[in-house]
Amino acid sequence: MHENMENGTKMKNKIKVFRAMNNLTQDALAQEMGVARQTILAIEKGKYDPSLDLAFKIARRFGVNINDVFTYDES
Amino acid sequence: MKQNTFYFLAGILGLAEVGFFWISVLFRNPAIIVVTFILGILLIYSAKRTISDRREDERSALITQKAGARTLEVFFVLFFAISLGSLVMGFATPLGIPPPPKPFPRVPHDEPNLGYFGLLQMLLLCGMVFLYIAFRVYYARKYGEWDEDEE
Repeated sequence: MHENMENGTKMKNKIKVFRAMNNLTQDALAQEMGVARQTILAIEKGKYDPSLDLAFKIARRFGVNINDVFTYDES
Repeated sequence: MKQNTFYFLAGILGLAEVGFFWISVLFRNPAIIVVTFILGILLIYSAKRTISDRREDERSALITQKAGARTLEVFFVLFFAISLGSLVMGFATPLGIPPPPKPFPRVPHDEPNLGYFGLLQMLLLCGMVFLYIAFRVYYARKYGEWDEDEE
């Protein structure tokens, strides 16, 4: 997925919004997902596209579909 | 084992390897450094597996993977070019490599100067370590390692 960034396409995400809705810090979400806080921060800032596995886990944590958290923008 | 303890152990081991290298030189026995180096690497790998506070995830794995791949690409070209140059020297002179300068006489005199090639390889390997660090810093920065959030 990370290759998408180099090809000029980008995944957008609403993790920050969902975190705020669920009153969850980056650190808490990172611990639940088993990743570093910097990874959650990098995903939120669009610097790193997560693996499908992590993307599904994040969406499942917020109780929504993966499409609700992550969108594919080809522009 | 804590991560910092591991780094401390690695440092001690590095110093010990330098010592073993000189012991190897003193006894004119390359087997000493070869065996101790391999044992040292095995020790490092087994110690690394016992680190309890290591946080490694898919992003850090990607950084390691990309930095490693790029280093290998550059190193392959450099190593191939220098090896080709060494081959030319090998074919151009009877002993392959010219004798060392005066302050470092060869003992015994009839051994080929293969040490020069080893030195060149060590320089290349040291260069590769710095290259790897540089690529790691580049990719870590690219994937937001040092980003700060307003949170």
